[in-house]
Amino acid sequence: MPRQSVDRVLYVEDDPDIRAVAELALVDVAGFEARLCESGQQALEQVDDFHPDLVLLDVMMPGMDGPETLRALQERPGGLPVPAVFMTARLQPEEIEEYRAMGAIGVIPKPFDPMTLGDQIRELLAGREGA
Amino acid sequence: MVSAASGDVSSRLAELRKRFAERATDDLKALEQRAQLLEGEGADGAVLADVCSRLHRLAGSAGTFGFPELGQAARSLENMLEARADDGSLQEASSLAVERILALRTMLESPPLPAQVTNDESAQGAVERPEGSHGVRVRVLIVPAGKTDPQWLDKALAAYGFDCQVRHETDPELIAVLAGELQTATVILCASVRIEGVIRARDASPSDQVRRLPVVCLSEDLSFGSRYRVAALGADGFFGRSPDLSELAERIEYLALERSTRVHGRVVLVEDDLELAEHYALVLRAAGVDVLWVNDPMQLMSELSSFQPDILLMDVQLGQYSGVTLARMVRFDPQWLSLPIIYLSSEDDPDSQLEALSRGADEFLMKPVSDSYLVRAVLIRCFRARQLSRLMNRDSLTGLLKHSLIKQEVEKELARCRRDGHAASAVMVDLDHFKKINDTYGHRCGDVVIKALANTLRNRLRETDMIGRYGGEEFLVVLPHCDTEAARRLFTEIAEAFGQLTFNCNQETFGVTLSAGVAAINDHSVGDDAVDAADQALYQRKRAGRNGVTVAGDE
Repeated sequence: MPRQSVDRVLYVEDDPDIRAVAELALVDVAGFEARLCESGQQALEQVDDFHPDLVLLDVMMPGMDGPETLRALQERPGGLPVPAVFMTARLQPEEIEEYRAMGAIGVIPKPFDPMTLGDQIRELLAGREGA
Repeated sequence: MVSAASGDVSSRLAELRKRFAERATDDLKALEQRAQLLEGEGADGAVLADVCSRLHRLAGSAGTFGFPELGQAARSLENMLEARADDGSLQEASSLAVERILALRTMLESPPLPAQVTNDESAQGAVERPEGSHGVRVRVLIVPAGKTDPQWLDKALAAYGFDCQVRHETDPELIAVLAGELQTATVILCASVRIEGVIRARDASPSDQVRRLPVVCLSEDLSFGSRYRVAALGADGFFGRSPDLSELAERIEYLALERSTRVHGRVVLVEDDLELAEHYALVLRAAGVDVLWVNDPMQLMSELSSFQPDILLMDVQLGQYSGVTLARMVRFDPQWLSLPIIYLSSEDDPDSQLEALSRGADEFLMKPVSDSYLVRAVLIRCFRARQLSRLMNRDSLTGLLKHSLIKQEVEKELARCRRDGHAASAVMVDLDHFKKINDTYGHRCGDVVIKALANTLRNRLRETDMIGRYGGEEFLVVLPHCDTEAARRLFTEIAEAFGQLTFNCNQETFGVTLSAGVAAINDHSVGDDAVDAADQALYQRKRAGRNGVTVAGDE
C-alpha cells in the first residue's frame, strides 16, 4: 500500500461533549481537518462528500454501533479504502482482535487525552506502515 | 504540532470541562435516583440498563475532561453492578451502589487536574515516589526581599545538593510559578518581608499539592513577636538572616521528606471474590497504595515474601480455607510476627471476632466497607507499620539504614547481579580527621557533620541506591547498575561538593573532606568480600592523602 499522509479525519461519536473535545484535539492540537458525525447513519451520508483519510469510530453508540457502522461503510460499492480506528471505554484483549479482524488498524482506549489523541492516531498509522 | 496558540486551546478545554462537569452533575443526580429505585423495588432491567449506560459514559469520558478518579470509580461500579445482575444478587448490592454514587459526586467537586493525561506517567511517578525524598532532588524556591538582596544562599544551598531557584516575581505572579511545582519535592524559602504575600499566593492555588508546599521564613527580627507572627501565618520554619546552613539544609530536607511521604503502603489482599478484590484494589491504588491481590491462599506465603507488604488484608472465609487459620499460619514465620493483619469480614458476632483476634489478627473491617473508610484504615496502618520499621531499621541520627541492614543489601545486590548480569558497586565513605572535629568542637558539632554527609548522600544518589551508616563516621553505599568507574566519577563529585560545605560550631567555621573506597560487588562471591575490598580501597585512599576516591585495584 502506498504511503498515505493523513490529513482528514472522520469521527463518529454520539456524545456531544466528547465530540466537542475531540474536535479541539483533532483540529487545534493535532492539526487534522476533521468532520464530526453524531451517528453511524450520518457518517454514511457524509463519507463521500468529506473524503476522509481515516475513520475514527466510537464502539458503543445507540442505533448503529461502531462495528456496524464500519461494516456498513465497507459494504458500500466502493468499500472503505482508508484505515479505520475504534475508540472504546471497555478494552478487552479479545475485543481488539475482533476489531482487527474486521479491518480496523487499532483501538484507542477511552477516556482519551485530548493533548495526545493526534499522536496516538499517528502512532497507529506508523505501526501499520512499519509492519 | 500545536498549531493554534496553546493558550487558546487550554481556555477552550477549560470551557468544555466546565460544561462536562455541569452535565455530569445532572447525570449523577439521575443515577442516585435510579439506584434508589433499584434498592427499593428490586432489580428492574430497564433501570439497571440505564444506570449502567450512564456509568459507562462517565467511565469513558470523565478522564478526558480531567476527572480520571471519577471515571475509574464509575467503571468499577459499572463492573460490579453487571456482575451482581448476572448472579442475581443485585438488590443486596444496591445500597452499596447508592453510597458509591454519592462518593462520585465528591470526585466531581474536586478541581480537575491541570493536564489531562489519562495514562499519566508523571502522576504515576508521584505515586511511586519512594519513602522520603531520597532519590528526588529537592528544589528550593528562594524569594528574597528584593532584587538587591544578597543571593549568597542559593549557591550555599546548592552545595548541599538542592536545586535552588531565586524568584523575583511579585506575589500574584508567584501563583503561576508555584503551579509548576506539582510533581517535585519543593520547599519555599522566603524573606520575612515577603512571607505574607507568598503564603497568600500559595494558598490561592487551586491545587492542594501546591497549597501544601512548605514555607520557611528568613527574618532579621528574631523577637518573640516576629516569630509568633510568622507562625500564625502558617510557615513551617523560621531562621535568622544568617542561618546555620547545615541546620537550614536539614530542615529543608525534613520538610521535603515529610511532604513527599504521602503515606503510601504495600498491601497484600487475600480475597476470593473477584469483583470485590478488583474494587478494593482499584480504590487503594487510586490512593497510592501498592496492592498485590492473592486469589489462592496456597500462594500466600511465597507472595508475602516476594512482595514484602506493610499490612495483610484478608477475607475471613476464603472458599474452603479459614482466614483465621491462615493468619495463625502466617505467624508461624518469625518474619511476619509483627505484620499487621486486618480482616475484611461480614462477621458481626463479637465472640467470633475475639476468637479471630486471639488467633493473630489485629483488626476487623466490616463489609460492606465504604471506600473512604477502607483507604483511611489501610493508610493509617501502613503509616504506623512504616514508622515502626523505620524505628527498627534506621539509624536515629541520620535516618539511614543500620549496619546490619546495609550489609544485607550488599548480599541482595550480589544475588541480583548474578541473576541479571549487571554491574554494581559498593562504596565505603569515611569523614577525614573526624576524631579531631569531635575533639576540637565537641560531639554536637560532629553530629552536625555526620547529618550533613547523610543529607548530601541522600540528595545526590538515586532512589534505587542504598545508603547505610556503617560505623561512627563511616557510610556504606550500594549502587546497583553502576560500574566502578561511574561510581568513581559520582563520588569524586560528591567529595568535591561536600568539601565546599562550611560548618559553624562554637563561633568557628571549618570544612571537612571525605574519602571513599569503591569495589565492584559483582567481582566477589560473597557480599562481605566486596565490603572488605571497598574498605581496603578506602584505606589506600587514606594513605594516599585522603580527600578523594580510590577504586579497588587502582595502582
